[in-house]
This record gives sequence, C-alpha cells and structure tokens, in this order.
Amino acid sequence: MQPTSSMKEEFLQKWQMGLQIYRPLIDNTSVSERRKAIKLSADVAMASLRRGTTCWSRALIQKTATEDNFLVRQMLSGIKAETLINKKLPKVMCHRKIVRRSKKILRRRKSRSAIEEVAAKARKLVNKKTQGLRNVVPGGEFMSNDVLLIQETLDYIVSLQTQVNVMRSIVDAAEAGSER
Amino acid sequence: MDLSGRFGARSGNGVPFREVTGLESLHLGGGDEFRQMVLPENGGGFTALLELPPTRAVELLHSSSSSSSQATLHSVGTLTFPSNPILMERAARFSVIATEQNPNGNISGETTTSSVPSNEHIKTEPAETETSDQAAVEKQNNRCGKRKDFDKKVKSSTKKKSKSSEENEKLPYVHVRARRGQATDSHSLAERARREKINARMKLLQELVPGCDKIHPKRDRFWWKDEDQSVLWGPSNCKLSLEESFDLQIQGTALVLDEIINHVQSLQRQVEMLSMRLASVNPRIDFNLDTILASENGSLMDGSFNGTTMQLAWPHQVMETEQSYHHRQLQQPPPQQWPFDGLNQPVWGREENQDHGNDHNSLMVGSASLHPNQVKMEL
Repeated sequence: MQPTSSMKEEFLQKWQMGLQIYRPLIDNTSVSERRKAIKLSADVAMASLRRGTTCWSRALIQKTATEDNFLVRQMLSGIKAETLINKKLPKVMCHRKIVRRSKKILRRRKSRSAIEEVAAKARKLVNKKTQGLRNVVPGGEFMSNDVLLIQETLDYIVSLQTQVNVMRSIVDAAEAGSER
Repeated sequence: MDLSGRFGARSGNGVPFREVTGLESLHLGGGDEFRQMVLPENGGGFTALLELPPTRAVELLHSSSSSSSQATLHSVGTLTFPSNPILMERAARFSVIATEQNPNGNISGETTTSSVPSNEHIKTEPAETETSDQAAVEKQNNRCGKRKDFDKKVKSSTKKKSKSSEENEKLPYVHVRARRGQATDSHSLAERARREKINARMKLLQELVPGCDKIHPKRDRFWWKDEDQSVLWGPSNCKLSLEESFDLQIQGTALVLDEIINHVQSLQRQVEMLSMRLASVNPRIDFNLDTILASENGSLMDGSFNGTTMQLAWPHQVMETEQSYHHRQLQQPPPQQWPFDGLNQPVWGREENQDHGNDHNSLMVGSASLHPNQVKMEL
C-alpha cells in the first residue's frame, strides 16, 4: 500500500498546524532550532494520522512529548490528546530481559546435532535482526510478538513515505522560490 | 452430549469462536484490516491474544472457565488426553518427518499442505512432556484463539479426516480442526497460525520495500525463531536437506529484515535532511510558506498556463499575497473549491514526475499536465 493523497493532505494540514504554533517564536533564528521544530511537528503530524490506533504512533507521540509537550498538546487537541500523552507504554522490556537471563541460566544441555546447531544459529541471526528492527521502529521494544512488529513496521513505512513525499515537495517549492 | 451440542455445529456459539471474524480478517488482511480488527465486536478474545500479556490473563480465565466443563475437548492432548501413546502413533502415521531427529517418524502420508508437519511432530514430544497446568491453559488459550484461524488455512482435508477418526468419538468437533491430531496440542497450532501471519505480512513488506524481490529465489518462505522449541520453524515442507533449507530460508529472512531496517533508516534520514533543508531556507519562507499556500486558492492548478510563467510567478507568490498573484498573466480559472492548498500541485507534480522521469521542476510539469478537474477528482 502506497501513500494516498488523502493521507498526504491530512499530513500537510496537521503539519501546517504544528508549524503555525511555532510561528510566534520565529525569532529562534538558529537553524537547528528551526529544524527541530520542523521535524517535531512533522513527526507529530505523521503520528496523529493514525489517531492512536498503532503502537508506533503512540510511542512517537510520547517521544516528542518529552521534548516539546506544548506542541503535542496543541496539535493533538481534540484527538484524545490527554490519553495519548499520559498513557504509559507497557513495560514489557523489563520482562523480556529477565526472561532472557533466566532462560540462559536454565538452558539445558541438549544434544548438539547438526540440525540444532544450524537452527540455533539461524534463530540467533533472526533474533538479532528483529531486535534491530525493534530499535528502529518507534515503540518497537514494547511490541511483544513478531506479528505485531511486522504489522507496525508496515504501517510505519507507509507513513514515513507519506511524510517524506510531502516534505520533499514543500522543500522543493520553497527552494525554488528562494532561488529567484 | 454437552460437548457436541456446544461445539458440533461450529456456529460460533461458544466462547472461543468469537474470535472467528477477527482472526479471519487478520489472516486475510494487511495493516488496515488489522486495525479494523483490533476493535472488533468480539473484542475479548483476539485482542487479548495480540495485546499485552495482562489482557491475556483475562482471556485465559475466560477460556479456561468455559473450557473447564469440556475438559476433554479443550485439553489439548497433553494433560488430560488419555491416549498419548496412541496420539503419538497417530501423529507419526500422518505427519511427514523431514528431520533425522525422529527415527520413528518415517511416515507415510506426505502432507499435501505446505506446512511443516514434521516440525509439529517434533513439537509433540516436548509438548507431551509438559505437565504444568499453566502451560496447558496457555496452550488452550492459544488454541482457542487460533483455532478458527487455523481452520481457514487447512489445506489437506484428508489429513483432517483421517486424523479425526480416532478422536471423533471423544471429540466430534475435531474434524473441522486441521492437524489437531498431528500436532496434539494447541501450541503448535498456534505457532503455525502465528507463522502464517508473519509470513503473510512479510510478503506485504517485501512489496513495499524496494529491492527485496531479488534477495532469494525462495523468498516466499520465512523462518522465524520459536521461543519454545529447539528447531526453527518454517512455513513449508522442505524437500531439501534440512541444513540447506535452513541456510537458504534463514538467509532469506535475515536479508529481508536487513532490507527493511535499511529502508526505514533511510526514510528517517531523509526526513532529517529535508527538515534541515527546510530550516536552512529563508526563515520567513518555511513558516510562512504554508500559510501562503493555504490561502492560495488553486491558481496553481490551472493546467493551461505554461511553465515559465509558473516559474516566474512562484517566487513572487511566496512574497506576495494571493491577490497580487492573481494579477499575473494567468488565465483566471473558475474559482475552485480547494479544501487543500497549492501544495497539492507539487505533490501531484512530483508523482507525475516520477512517472515521467522528469525531476526538473515538479511544479511546472505537474501543473502543465494536470487539468483542474483531474486534480480536483484526485483530491
């Protein structure tokens, strides 16, 4: 599934709303501050497209809320902002570490047949990759099963694509304008 | 009998069947359907399976309470099922053993399905050795949740029927459930269902991420870790030797995952770079551009004006107001109700460009090629 036009529209509208919140503070002349403002508002706009149905969107909103609570509140006003901001993500991460450690301790010595060795290696490899994926996708650590992870990744990729497309067109337009 | 009455019809009366529609939609669909399904009318069962463990406890309670009266039915062959050795033999008879771990298991009955019954046979052994109630209840839970889903995936009806012949006396319900005798526990059923789901989604991901298609000729198979088993399960019946198949499939999965990770990272980096570019442009523009665009009333959409005027007009438009823009030598289009701003044009222009391979000025080409009506419809 590719980004649809309605998604792009919605993203742009929300992003504009976010940017306008920053407009009074336009005297933050530093480029990095502006960049941060742009990026944060774009992220929140992208996450709010999903209206809290997906795990990554909630995690992303929470992440940006730690950096700029005001922006998030303003942008999400009316879309269950309070619940999204205040909701604590499940602390599954702790459990997994403990489980992993205890599994290591309890691991029994099995016969290391060729199949099992290969399987163990394969398992480790796939585990490493999925862990890498969890690190990249926001909120990935809290997705306990692989199905959910893949699902969220799918949705996240589509939303990122939307974001990139819209931002690129804005940037192109702005740069074309400023060249004259 | 109570059991048959409750489950024979399989009409979704019982508690476990409430997940039917949810699971069906999940199996068939991608992200969208999953989202719809997360808020289903039968919210209790399936969402519990997929969401946090605490909610799972509720499901466990629910299913165990309902299943307590039908102990025989729900017991998935490990604890209360009396004929374990018979089941073993049955499983041995009907499952294809592709691994050397099971010398007994050289079985007739090559399954017609593409799943890996052999692995499930292996699973029966550890499954049967488990005696904890918790595990059994857990399996029951899995099975309840995934039962219908699993049924949908059944491809070998013969296997079902032959398997159910023995259990039919006790479990008249079984015949609809595939591979139950073969697997003898809900755990492998659940694992199978889970794996099918993962593979379906991985296929979707492959289509989305560029460059995944050529990773491996056998890319339709994915191998995933299995937390509780010692063997890596895959979706299909491997005709290769096991080591080969493992290597190939694992490479496939690992490479695809790599690709996905790279793609996501590249997209994130692009966002950062774009925001940096936008920030480094004249500050007035990046914050005011949008407002100007928003107030713009679709003059950009006119397909009849040529590109050069567009190019000239654009910077002025940024600095000037909308009224002055209209005074340009553009033919005035009929006022159109654009709920959206002029960005729509570059957005479409960009898409058109990518189609035509022209990256020059997205605004010009897009605007020149699109008719206002067309663009409006696409809105």
